Amino acid sequence: MAPTLLNAALGALLAAALLGPAFDGRTVAVVVAAAVLPNLDAVASLVVTGATNTLLHNVWIPLVLVGLLYWDTALSERSALRERYGWRGVRTAWVALAGFTAAGVAPDLFGTPGANLLYPLEDAYYVVDGLLLFSTQDGIVQTFVSATAEGPGVLPFESLGTTETHSISTWVNPDGRPDLALGSEREFVVVDAGWQAVVVASALASIAIRFRPWARVRTGDTAEDSATEASR
Amino acid sequence: MVSSIVHAGFALVLAAGLLKGSYDRRALAVVLAVVLLPEADSFLGPIMSGAHRTVGHNFVFPAAAAFLIYYDTRIREESAIRERVADRGVRIAWVALFVHLFAHVSLDWAHLDGVNVLWPLHDSFFRLEGELLWSSADGLVQTFVDIDLNPETGDRRVDAGSTGTTQSVHVNNPVEPDDPETLEGAETIDRRFPVAGRGWRLYLLGLGVFTVVARRLQSDPPAESAE
Repeated sequence: MAPTLLNAALGALLAAALLGPAFDGRTVAVVVAAAVLPNLDAVASLVVTGATNTLLHNVWIPLVLVGLLYWDTALSERSALRERYGWRGVRTAWVALAGFTAAGVAPDLFGTPGANLLYPLEDAYYVVDGLLLFSTQDGIVQTFVSATAEGPGVLPFESLGTTETHSISTWVNPDGRPDLALGSEREFVVVDAGWQAVVVASALASIAIRFRPWARVRTGDTAEDSATEASR
Repeated sequence: MVSSIVHAGFALVLAAGLLKGSYDRRALAVVLAVVLLPEADSFLGPIMSGAHRTVGHNFVFPAAAAFLIYYDTRIREESAIRERVADRGVRIAWVALFVHLFAHVSLDWAHLDGVNVLWPLHDSFFRLEGELLWSSADGLVQTFVDIDLNPETGDRRVDAGSTGTTQSVHVNNPVEPDDPETLEGAETIDRRFPVAGRGWRLYLLGLGVFTVVARRLQSDPPAESAE
């Protein structure tokens, strides 16, 4: 799994960008929680072989949720979600789903250790990593998609192995295999590259600016802001 | 450079989160223009050594700009920005500055030889690279800043990822795709315009596109939520 803090930061950025008038402390918390949620499959890996980046990192869960949400809010005559939580509930549900998929699952796909995208129909960890550039000598060069990629998967991306062969180390399960391994060294990664530190800092700054705890005392400012926001 | 397209993608995510009621096509165009502008320092490369990642990529000019906007809108009695483009323009100016700082300079700081952080006050490129983790065996480990302690003299040497000065560092870009001296002798020049050099850059680009498309598809809030 990608560093949990990175998932949370990306979730917070999406929440700020997409919630609109539904933006407040509770809804942001829901979206961030949804972004962190996929990492829970690391806990399942303590009993199920190779559950990390597999059980909750596939395309089926988001697809099913999109289908359910679309059916409830757009197709069915009475939306249970809207009746219970109103317009804000519907908006928050969609953004939380975006957080789960784009901030929770996707970051694992675009770098090691990869995500088991089509599980359980197929068992292969995919990683989309490479380069895409235009060169005046060589034309378009790209190595993200390769039709001749070796490995167990059917999708044209690099594949790292199956749940049997590719084990993913997390702080919950250091060797990635089903046993508790109580004595082994655990590493909780906060950020593991410079760009991740930048994303986390951007998210912290964005959220701080949106909530403006230092401007609460001056009433009027916030009321005016929420009025312009709602008028969209 | 991290490709301008990747900067633009991350910039869109940040701008969508901060523009609030000012979010529209024109505001996004302003933000994107501010993201692209600093790359113009590539064109200074042929006349000034190490200009790329220096003139347009530092933290001194943004700090100066922040002070100017603050002075103009809060301290002066009549604000020139507000007079010309109203409160909306002030917000867009702040967002553009934020995006320049985080989506452009900071991302480049974490890429190749980094950026010339304190230019023109101090000429030194720095690169932000490392990791931060907590290990049950070693405790908190961070490799962003190296601190060496010389055991004999007791001298402390702090290295925050320094990579050199404008004289020694050249960051390749389409205008000068290699070190200027190598380029003079080269027969054919291969100019490379990157779109995404790694998976995570493609991801940030995709996230920006996703954000803008999602904003378009969103339904408008019903009238009663305006209260």
